[in-house]
Amino acid sequence: MNERTNNSVKCAMALTALYQVFDPELGINVVDMGLIYAIDFNETKKQIACEMTLSTPFCPMGDSITQGVKNALEQAFPEYTLSLELTFDPPWTQEHISEEGRIYLNN
Amino acid sequence: MMQTTSHRVVLPFYFYAALAFLAGTVLLFDAVPVFSGHFFHPKLLAVTHCMALGWGTMMIMGAAHQLVPVLIEGKLYSNLAAYLSFGLAALGIPLLIYGFYTFSLGHTAQLGGILIVASIVVYMINLAMSMAQSNNENVHAVFVFTATLWLLATASLGLALLFNFTTLFMLKDSLGYLSLHAHMGIVGWFLLMIMGVGSKLIPMFLISKYTNTRLLWAIFILINLALLSFVFLNLFIAPGILHLLPLLAGGSAVALFGYYCFASAKDRIRKKVDEQMKLSLLSVLLLLIPMVLLLLVVGSLFVYQKQQNTLVLAYGFLVFFGWISSIILGMSFKTLPFIVWNKVYHQQVGLGTTPNPKDLFNSTLFRIMALSYVPGILIFTSGILFRLPVLLQIGAAGLFISALFYNWNILKILNHKAVKA
Repeated sequence: MNERTNNSVKCAMALTALYQVFDPELGINVVDMGLIYAIDFNETKKQIACEMTLSTPFCPMGDSITQGVKNALEQAFPEYTLSLELTFDPPWTQEHISEEGRIYLNN
Repeated sequence: MMQTTSHRVVLPFYFYAALAFLAGTVLLFDAVPVFSGHFFHPKLLAVTHCMALGWGTMMIMGAAHQLVPVLIEGKLYSNLAAYLSFGLAALGIPLLIYGFYTFSLGHTAQLGGILIVASIVVYMINLAMSMAQSNNENVHAVFVFTATLWLLATASLGLALLFNFTTLFMLKDSLGYLSLHAHMGIVGWFLLMIMGVGSKLIPMFLISKYTNTRLLWAIFILINLALLSFVFLNLFIAPGILHLLPLLAGGSAVALFGYYCFASAKDRIRKKVDEQMKLSLLSVLLLLIPMVLLLLVVGSLFVYQKQQNTLVLAYGFLVFFGWISSIILGMSFKTLPFIVWNKVYHQQVGLGTTPNPKDLFNSTLFRIMALSYVPGILIFTSGILFRLPVLLQIGAAGLFISALFYNWNILKILNHKAVKA
């Protein structure tokens, strides 16, 4: 397996872990909510770089959601160190919600 | 990481407000016999201030400490100021209510009033400093801060009226300023605050794409125009047809806000509306009834004094027990479980299943609360309008039961300990 393929597999595994982290108000996971902007694995440094956002800055549930992302990734990849970056550029909008997320919210 | 307001700041406000709601329903039951008389009565002053300050204001001030950082996208300036604000109001409110109930408007009530004004000043400074350091001004924040200015004006006028009772120093006796005092509070504080926060939270909870800042500014201008013209008319012009102007401006603002809520709901992505949101949306309907009554009150200025008194009583009751209470009853179960859930499960998120925030309260208790509240409101209002003491007693009993179940559920949330789902 080359490095690029390996990275894609790891990213898919990371997303699987993040499917278990839910927005407590809406009940959607953070991936379908569109809160995860990027995940990258650095095999040399054994580092995961995760860039994410919140639906609004100073969201009262923000601490729990980011802690959830941290917990899920650290549990799934104990041998890696996590660098979690919270960004509001671009800000989250409803357009970030995935089709699966929309179907869930419609029911 | 962006720090949100600590739960320690907010929870005392919620707990205090819940107890005040229960006390308010007890005072209401006790005041049933005086509902056939004039609205200016010690027992009615006590129940009104218990509901307006202990219940409505404490709950809104508590929630504001959590919500203002969301609105201004900045953190709360000082937790210490929030504690101080709570402590001052928590001491002042019972003193004031005791003073009204016993109609001893001397030192005890005056001290209570001073403590409440001091609490509001501290709250306002905390809010102003939070906004100053955030550099993010938006229409919602302007609503909230202006509402706080009106709250300070209301409480300051109230304090002046208290002193005016014992030593007459104002142009008229205190009774002449009651309408001004009440509407500065109802419209300036409660309505403006609820609109400012609601216009942000309703689209947020419904995940709606709808935004209309220009409409919100128009609403803001109309409300303040209504208030300022009401102050002017009340102070300088004798009651007459001109008094319909503030009602017209305020009514237009409410209609526009109703449109804003409707448009937000129409454009929403989240189709399913939960019970708590439904109870809060009921408040929009419950706001229309007192507005119609207010129109009748102004109309009755030219007709009969006796009918006017009944309408004033029904209006006041529907504002505090109907409109404000229904918003709070719904929104407390929309906000408090999340605050407590955040506190209890913050470290466990993503490590396995945890209960949902809505599992922290008992939905059966919530339903009993709502099912005793709605008939309680309707029966009590009928009792006022038809002057039937038996309906007043049944209605007050319904509201008392509702308050009991509300408190039970709130205690259940506050005492929640970590469990696995």
